Amino acid sequence: MRTPGLAAQPVMLLRAGLIAAALAVWQAVSVSGLLFRDVVPSLGAIGGALVRLLIDPGFYGHLGTSGLEIGLALVIGGLSGLIAGLVLGANRLLGKAFEPYLYYLGPTPKIIFFPVMIMWFGVGPGSKIAMGVISCFFPIALSTAAGMRQIDRVLIRVGRSFRAAAWQMVSKIYLPAMREPIVNGVRLGLGVAVIGTLLAETKLSNRGVGFLVINSYSTFDMPRMYALLIVVFVIAIGVNALVGRLGAGRSYAKA
Amino acid sequence: MRAKLAPPALGLATLALAIHDIQTLIEVGTINRFVVPLPTQIAASFGRVIVEENVLGRFLLTAGETLAAGVLLTVVGIGIGALLYRFRLLRLACETWIAALASAPIVLMYPLFLVIFGRSAMTLVMMGFVAALPPVILKTIEGLAGTRRVLIDVGRSFKLTQAQQFRKILFPAALPSMFVGIRLGLIFALINIVGVEFLINFGGLGQLINELAERYDLPGTYAAICFVVLVSVCFFAVTGWVERWLRPGD
Amino acid sequence: MKVAGPILVVEDIVKRFDTPDGALTAIDQVSFDVAPGEFLAVIGPSGCGKSTLFNVIGGLVDGYEGRVSVAGETVRGPHPALGMVFQEESTFPWRTVIENVAFPLEIAGVAKAERLERARHFVALVGLAGFERRYPAELSGGMRQRVSMARTLASEPKILLMDEPFAALDEQTRLLLGDKVLQIQQELKQTTLLITHNITEAVQLSDRILVMTYRPGRVKRVVPIDLPRPRTSEIVSSDAFGHYVAQIWNDLREEATRGMRDAEAHSLRAGAAS
Repeated sequence: MRTPGLAAQPVMLLRAGLIAAALAVWQAVSVSGLLFRDVVPSLGAIGGALVRLLIDPGFYGHLGTSGLEIGLALVIGGLSGLIAGLVLGANRLLGKAFEPYLYYLGPTPKIIFFPVMIMWFGVGPGSKIAMGVISCFFPIALSTAAGMRQIDRVLIRVGRSFRAAAWQMVSKIYLPAMREPIVNGVRLGLGVAVIGTLLAETKLSNRGVGFLVINSYSTFDMPRMYALLIVVFVIAIGVNALVGRLGAGRSYAKA
Repeated sequence: MRAKLAPPALGLATLALAIHDIQTLIEVGTINRFVVPLPTQIAASFGRVIVEENVLGRFLLTAGETLAAGVLLTVVGIGIGALLYRFRLLRLACETWIAALASAPIVLMYPLFLVIFGRSAMTLVMMGFVAALPPVILKTIEGLAGTRRVLIDVGRSFKLTQAQQFRKILFPAALPSMFVGIRLGLIFALINIVGVEFLINFGGLGQLINELAERYDLPGTYAAICFVVLVSVCFFAVTGWVERWLRPGD
Repeated sequence: MKVAGPILVVEDIVKRFDTPDGALTAIDQVSFDVAPGEFLAVIGPSGCGKSTLFNVIGGLVDGYEGRVSVAGETVRGPHPALGMVFQEESTFPWRTVIENVAFPLEIAGVAKAERLERARHFVALVGLAGFERRYPAELSGGMRQRVSMARTLASEPKILLMDEPFAALDEQTRLLLGDKVLQIQQELKQTTLLITHNITEAVQLSDRILVMTYRPGRVKRVVPIDLPRPRTSEIVSSDAFGHYVAQIWNDLREEATRGMRDAEAHSLRAGAAS
């Protein structure tokens, strides 16, 4: 959000102040023992756990496993969502017939499908990837279908008037015109794929970041849990911002 | 008129055909019946599950948790949203943070909440509340900030105090956006609550699925999943109607 | 009025549409020719089927009776010798001006360096030299329409079809752009068919004007415009210009009134039904 004329200084100062205040309150609560000590570990303990985590090569193995699962889920779910969205957006009959299913099935808790995924894909990474796939398929398909429909009709007529071939229509007109909705769909899909995959890992896995989180719980290593959560949040928010930045390209607001 | 019925008919027909095909494939053995039970078996176990597993009680439990989270979301979410709107600097500082949080896997903190609140309904309510908070706050701010300039000027021309301005102009004007936010919040809350019920094996409907799965009651598990999906779909649809009903002239 | 060797022949076009209120005849037995290098304007009230005619000739619509032929060849779908400029905003917002104009050459498979070079020529032709790297969002409405025009001209069509390209612009911009169009037409000897509802514009730019009736659209009258060429927008102040405008308005007034009464009756019915 841009506000011309308002210096960034006060905002940055306030943010720094808020963070400092939050950390101070945290540390105070931790030291005072108001809450059960281990629930609010001292900042030092969390910091230490964070460092130990980041220098542990084993951690990166787990991070890689999760990353791979999420990545594959996005590729599979994303491609199938894209194709489904293109088809449903292009054909009015198919769209009206099947899109409601996607629309209403989208906001349901996907993790409850996990037992079925385990039966179908085993206890290994397969079931986690499957969780990620069914999580991200819906937002990507729906955004793509909506994107197809909001394309300015006149642009399609321009393409036809120049006798563009079908593949030229898709690559030079449809896809560029849909860039924004597709990117938004992918960002949403990324978010839910991360959730689906990591939650599945907490339920049944012996590798991955989700496994590490639930493992900290069962070993009651709270500082490590906080450290893991911090890392996950930073990565998730960072990747989301990155996708948004990359996807926006040059801002050429619609004329 | 016929043309209007064609698409839903196509959708339902495809669904019926798919179920029929699955039934056949399982009967001839192409699909392993110990991985996917016969659709007829699944349908048959609906009744059994509903009676034996006290589905009504579980439904009420989950609904209660969601409602509790919803109340918290409304009070806290709108409160924080109004606060941020009121203090511009605070809003500039925090809004992007909250938007960023909306894309973070908050629900992954459930083991933390387990430690804090134990295996109880409180964990579920708090989890639903925290995970669904960002959209409520953002929509509240959006609604308040989107009040048409001219309406604010009308208030000022009548020399309304800050509090009156908020109560009589800003709040009503922002109500539609707030409803959208609360609905989003309720839906996210339900999804997260059911999910965590499944994960921590405690609570209502989510826990049912977990239990049936651990008992290897295949048809029952599938039936329970179908039931939960149905509940979720109905909740989504009903809240949608209520929201539209509360926003006449849109 | 047949001219030796017409480049565009429109014969007995009838186009009907199915609407909830029954079958609607948009255009009924419309026939005319366009000679090479000629500027023909088709003018009529709203609802006379001008845009339908545009889409029929351009090959974007089928299911009509009659025949459209370009240099003897029957038109079936968009024809390479026809270039279309649409009424709505049609520049690609994600492409720069030069990339927009180079689009038809890109479709035809021309190599990148060559097509950008050729596109540059047409960008200059419409008076936008220097704006090649800008995005349409950075330009005014008039400039964007010029980009659309340059894009169509870049495909070097034998016949340029324009459907109310200046409808969204203010009068002064229209007059100035009209000058531009006259310049270009003079330079390229471009055969042009312009669909418009603006009488001043039609008289300013064309050699002949086809006046259409209100729905079902038929050719009411063909008016040859005997104003000197080369022309500029200064012609607007001449007596002859005023006479032509008056004459055409005379024909149009009747049709426009019918159209307005029809629209009012329709709203009354729609209002009563709700």
